[in-house]
Amino acid sequence: MEHNENKFLVGVYDDEDVVLSAVTNVRNNGVRIYEVYTPFPIHGLDEVLGYKRSGLPRVAFFFGLTGTTLALTMMIWMMGYDWPMIVGGKDFVAFPDFIPVTFELTVLLASLGMVGTFLIISSLWPGKKPLLFDSRCTDDKFIMAVDLGKNKLSADEITSILKNSGAVEVNTKIVEE
Amino acid sequence: MVPTYNFENADVVVGIGAADFLGTWPGSTEYSYQYAQQRKLSKDKKQMSRHYQFETTLSITGANADHRTPIKPSQEGLVVAALYNQVAKLTGGAAINAPAIQVTNLDKAAKDLVAAKGRAVVISGSKDVNVQILTNAINSLIGANGKTIDFGAASNLKAGNDTAMAAFVQEVQQGKVAAVLFYNANPVYDYPTGKTFGENLQKVGLRISFADRFDETASLCEYVCPDHHYLESWGDAEPKRGYYSVIQPTINPIFKTRAAQESLLTWAGATNKNYFAYLQNFWRTNVYPQAKGAGSFENFWTQTLHDGVFEPKTVSASIIQPETQVNNSNTNDAARPLTQPTATPAATGSGVTFNADVNAVAAAIGQTYKANSNATELVLYEKSGIGNGDQANNPYLQEFPDPISRACWDNYLAVPKKMAVAMELVQGDLVKVEGKGYSIEIPVLIQPGQAEGTVALAIGYGREKAGKAGNKVGKNAYPFASLVNGTMSFVAPDVKISKAKGKWEIAQVQTHHTIMARPIVQEANLNEYQQNPAAGSFRPVVESSEGPKSPTEINIWKANGHKYLNHSWGMVIDMNSCTGCGACVVACNVENNVPVVGRQEVINRREMHWLRIDRYYSADPVPEEAGLIEKNRLLEEASANPEVVFQPMLCQHCQQAPCETVCPVLATTHSSEGLNQMTYNRCIGTRYCANNCPYKVRRLNWFKYHNNEKFDFHMNNDLGKMVLNPDVTVRARGVMEKCSFCVQRIQEGKLNAKKERRRPKDGEIITACAQSCATGAIVFGDLNDPETRVAQMWEEEQGKRGFRVLEEINVRPQITYLTKIRNKA
Amino acid sequence: MSHVVSPVREPLVLGGKTYADVTEDICRQVEAKPTKLWNIAFLISLVLLGIGMYSAYRTWWYGIGEWGLNKTVGWAWDITNFVWWVGIGHAGTLISAILLLFRQKWRTAINRAAEAMTIFAVLCAGTFILLHVGRVWLAYWCLPLPNTYGSLWVNFNSPLVWDVFAISTYLTVSLVFWYIGLIPDLATIRDRAKTKTARIAYGILSFGWDGAAKTWQRYEAVSLILAGLSTPLVLSVHTIVSMDFATSVIPGWHTTIFPPYFVAGAIFSGFAMVLTLMLITREVFDLKEYITIQHMDVMNKIIIITGSIVGVAYITEFFIAWYSGVQYEQYAFLNRMSGPYWWAYWSMMTCNVISPQLLWIKKIRQSVVATFILSIVVNIGMWFERFVIIVTSLHRDYLPSSWAMFYPTLVDIGDYILTFGLFFTLFFLFAKFLPVVNMAEIKAILKTSSDIQLEAHKPTVKAASHSEAQTRPAYNKDAE
Repeated sequence: MEHNENKFLVGVYDDEDVVLSAVTNVRNNGVRIYEVYTPFPIHGLDEVLGYKRSGLPRVAFFFGLTGTTLALTMMIWMMGYDWPMIVGGKDFVAFPDFIPVTFELTVLLASLGMVGTFLIISSLWPGKKPLLFDSRCTDDKFIMAVDLGKNKLSADEITSILKNSGAVEVNTKIVEE
Repeated sequence: MVPTYNFENADVVVGIGAADFLGTWPGSTEYSYQYAQQRKLSKDKKQMSRHYQFETTLSITGANADHRTPIKPSQEGLVVAALYNQVAKLTGGAAINAPAIQVTNLDKAAKDLVAAKGRAVVISGSKDVNVQILTNAINSLIGANGKTIDFGAASNLKAGNDTAMAAFVQEVQQGKVAAVLFYNANPVYDYPTGKTFGENLQKVGLRISFADRFDETASLCEYVCPDHHYLESWGDAEPKRGYYSVIQPTINPIFKTRAAQESLLTWAGATNKNYFAYLQNFWRTNVYPQAKGAGSFENFWTQTLHDGVFEPKTVSASIIQPETQVNNSNTNDAARPLTQPTATPAATGSGVTFNADVNAVAAAIGQTYKANSNATELVLYEKSGIGNGDQANNPYLQEFPDPISRACWDNYLAVPKKMAVAMELVQGDLVKVEGKGYSIEIPVLIQPGQAEGTVALAIGYGREKAGKAGNKVGKNAYPFASLVNGTMSFVAPDVKISKAKGKWEIAQVQTHHTIMARPIVQEANLNEYQQNPAAGSFRPVVESSEGPKSPTEINIWKANGHKYLNHSWGMVIDMNSCTGCGACVVACNVENNVPVVGRQEVINRREMHWLRIDRYYSADPVPEEAGLIEKNRLLEEASANPEVVFQPMLCQHCQQAPCETVCPVLATTHSSEGLNQMTYNRCIGTRYCANNCPYKVRRLNWFKYHNNEKFDFHMNNDLGKMVLNPDVTVRARGVMEKCSFCVQRIQEGKLNAKKERRRPKDGEIITACAQSCATGAIVFGDLNDPETRVAQMWEEEQGKRGFRVLEEINVRPQITYLTKIRNKA
Repeated sequence: MSHVVSPVREPLVLGGKTYADVTEDICRQVEAKPTKLWNIAFLISLVLLGIGMYSAYRTWWYGIGEWGLNKTVGWAWDITNFVWWVGIGHAGTLISAILLLFRQKWRTAINRAAEAMTIFAVLCAGTFILLHVGRVWLAYWCLPLPNTYGSLWVNFNSPLVWDVFAISTYLTVSLVFWYIGLIPDLATIRDRAKTKTARIAYGILSFGWDGAAKTWQRYEAVSLILAGLSTPLVLSVHTIVSMDFATSVIPGWHTTIFPPYFVAGAIFSGFAMVLTLMLITREVFDLKEYITIQHMDVMNKIIIITGSIVGVAYITEFFIAWYSGVQYEQYAFLNRMSGPYWWAYWSMMTCNVISPQLLWIKKIRQSVVATFILSIVVNIGMWFERFVIIVTSLHRDYLPSSWAMFYPTLVDIGDYILTFGLFFTLFFLFAKFLPVVNMAEIKAILKTSSDIQLEAHKPTVKAASHSEAQTRPAYNKDAE
């Protein structure tokens, strides 16, 4: 057996439609794809790769709910219980006046919470070193990475499958931890 | 001899000439109080006086009159003569021979005077003895003596003798005077020929002044021996014959000054130079004997110091006889009025009789006055704030806006609209005024109510050596005055007015002068009021799904407002009593450390007054067919002889204050006692509250007004800062301020009552404005206490004369205004 | 995958660009040394900024008295400028968010620059918040932070507090949305970087982006949700700003029409500003094939719509003032039309209602010069609109005794210049160091456009690129 730890086969494609069909093709041929790297999001790619739908919308919803609760609790407690003051003859808890802040905090927490979660689960932070199988993945090429260590098929078999699916290049890359 | 008046007894008052008894006349405070008694209305008093005023330039008195007629100074004598003839006709007397003159409202005035015989008075502001004699004659005919005029309690407030002074000035010029002492006198400034007088002063060997500064006269004296400030002095006064008052010091002398009296005692070589001892001794000998049942002298003295005044029960003859004051060989008998008191007048002088030759007087008047003069006549007048000019260095007075023109930090030529249009003048244009061998360049102000063919200029300005606030403010008007028949005339009968180059902006706190047909001020006439106490009211009604409702019944908040269970501080402002004098404004400034901002900032519309007296002129009725734009344009123009109304405007302490809702940092909230609070140290100055205030009563500190060279008034030096009230914060730059209902006084009053384990009583807690109002137009107190005047007035006048300004926007002010009722014939 | 687009539509990217072309065209500006033109423009911005900083010093050191405000007119240029900048900012969010939700692909050429414009505009608006407060060093008291005064909180009834939350949220969300969108492009620049500094700088900034499909999936979800959140956000922010006036009692301010009126006006002025900036950018950076006449045409259509809404709002206000019978309200509008500030009112009407109507004419709509001029005219008109609302309502309200005029001082003007200096400094820095067009999104819509181009220019192009062998996909999954 070849020493396949941290050894990847990198298929390079130059057309988004080709990549999409290639993924199905490659998977049907029994290859486990590590990841596909593209310069822009390709609609349908996540489905053909078998990825579950992102839970981030739900995250946003729950953060938003937190925001609403936080806002209302804060205002009702501050204006109604902690230090009620007569302001313009209004009730201490003048609910219609609390709507704008409630809405804003809902949106703020939903956005920041969701984006923060996104960055964390995607391992993105300032100064993170990216794992690039081919630096052209941010330019004009679509990169399919196959982890030989996690695949039963041999490198040559995988290479030919990739080429048949439309890859214009197939390279090898060793990834240091 | 100047009599005093009792306007509270007068159902009809007629003022002719410069008879500004509510504004600048000596005794105006007392007269305002008396006059107001006759103007107030209530459920128990449905009658009020009727007031006619015939004057040249619009004065506070004229603004309060029910009927005001502009007359020229050259017509004044004829007007009095015509009035005499009308009154004489109605009382069956003989007419006098004087040229006829047509004057609006004169016949109505005559009728009313006669109908109110014994309860009427005619006043003249003239310096012409003959006119005064004729006025006395009319008063005699209508039985005023002893009722509305008091010759017994003659006024001692003005005791100068013009002829004697003129003689003195001449003697100085001739070098006949060896020594002169100036005490509270500054003739180099305020004498018409003061300049030459000043030059001639060199001829006087010894010149001493007791002034507290190097004023115009003192700077020409050899010795200046500053007297104490009046707040550092002992002294006494007899403002009216038989009414005594003591002056006592409130602080030790700040500077190395000496009481003028002590200087005199020293120079006179008295054994006891102490003035206090002298004063006490004088009182022991001359005043104390009049005090019946006062106990020992010490008792009497202490009680008098406490009371401040001493009014003996029966007034005997004055200790000082004015007639004997001036022993001058040049005294002209004609200078003194011919009405003489009897030897020992009783308190009311009812023993006075009139005896003079009215026909001779009429003849003299016929010579002097003209019904139709073509000349432009200049009237010199005193502004109620600045007066004769000796207080010109007081920044509060300089910044005090004139109640009529709303201008400050300046004098100006008041011209009638017709003249301005004819000469193509707009406000601020400079004109040259020439007369009596003197000329000045001065800006023009268009004054509604100014008699046609006349102009007016205020004295008290144009000082050179008053101090840094007063120097070079305005132009000196005194040189236009002159001696006429032995009395100083403040009318220049023929001046030339010509356009000059350039402009000079006049600082005004108000630049729109009409009410624009808005129900902000509500008015009615007496006859309407007597039929319906709610006459003239505008009761806004809002249509709702449950039918018409008053704005206060509508609220989106279920509780419909918070309840004030302890105190609820409120005010009632009676627009019938308010004469517009503005004493409340100055009092508020002093009490609350309101900064002075100076002329330029007033021009920038940033004066800091918390309380203001809005003055509105009436506009001519607009024609029905005029378009909306034209209608509104016409409404902005004041009438040529307008009706005038004064409305004190201050923070209304709204229960649903629009300012509180919008402050982001809770710097303005509502107290549990109904006050709109202003927390200075929390305010970050967004100015949203000021924008949202419909009454525009909030003021921002645009700059740092203290310790700032650019605002070098009383907050920029240690001596000036002694003026500040230590109970009130001095606000920082960027902070909002406004009327607080003198919360420092409220707190003090509550605390004092609490220490005595009781509730505050009505009258114990009073705002500075209410306290200083001579007429009682402002009534302040606890609306929750049924014993207070304010609560009773509020209760009584709801649905009648009581209204709130801008009631329809439902901010629920704590201030009720009372509809102005005029008594037009 | 190719997006199914009707062949009738004009291509969104002209010139038969490939992905590599896109990368090259946009990155070229970032990587090149600053051009002479850029240097001059940047210098002018700095000069304006300098003048502005001096005005700001005067305002903060001496006091608000340095402005022309007074006891009657408490807000004038300060809040006019604040609302003007916030309004302009809304276009960016609209383009990013609302047009995304409506699947308007043409937004891709301009959304990056528009979002940047939003952030800079909101920063400029924020400058005014700091400038206009009497005691700036205590402005943080608007935040409900625990303190030693009780704690003394803030007044949640006040529209200014709503503003604090709204503008902060808006700035934060816009910044986040913009930045998330930038990450893939920053990665592109990072991977092309020739110098060590650039590699490190863009490396840090790109957060280690690698273009993984899973990450893109999440990214798309985030974008969609952010768009969905930003849309009501942008509507709420300008609604809240309008409530600074609508909730007051002053005639001319107290009106329920302000929220939709202001939002429409914001979009109106924002699009005009985007056009102004983009017409210059496309010229200077040679991006005419990305920011096409088509883009300009569509933006002009939005300007007609929103301009007309604003015009209808003006007429409605007048009608209601008359219909209400309330003399204060009627006077407020009569005064606007015929009083001392009539010239401001009529400038507003001409610039906002009349001039955009010219855009009904196709020739004008598709003329760069005409559009550029009109875009500036619109923004001038919108400035006057806020000035008219604020100053004419305040200067003559209920009590005629308080009526006064407002005149700006040099410091008023200088503080406005400060924001222009700030805006353009930031914008030119952005244009120089960051990609002005969203490369990833352009590449995502490129194929379709190229297709049409390829179809249109079949003979010439076919031989050139080998990629067209795979032009027709094996299967054609439906477009989004």
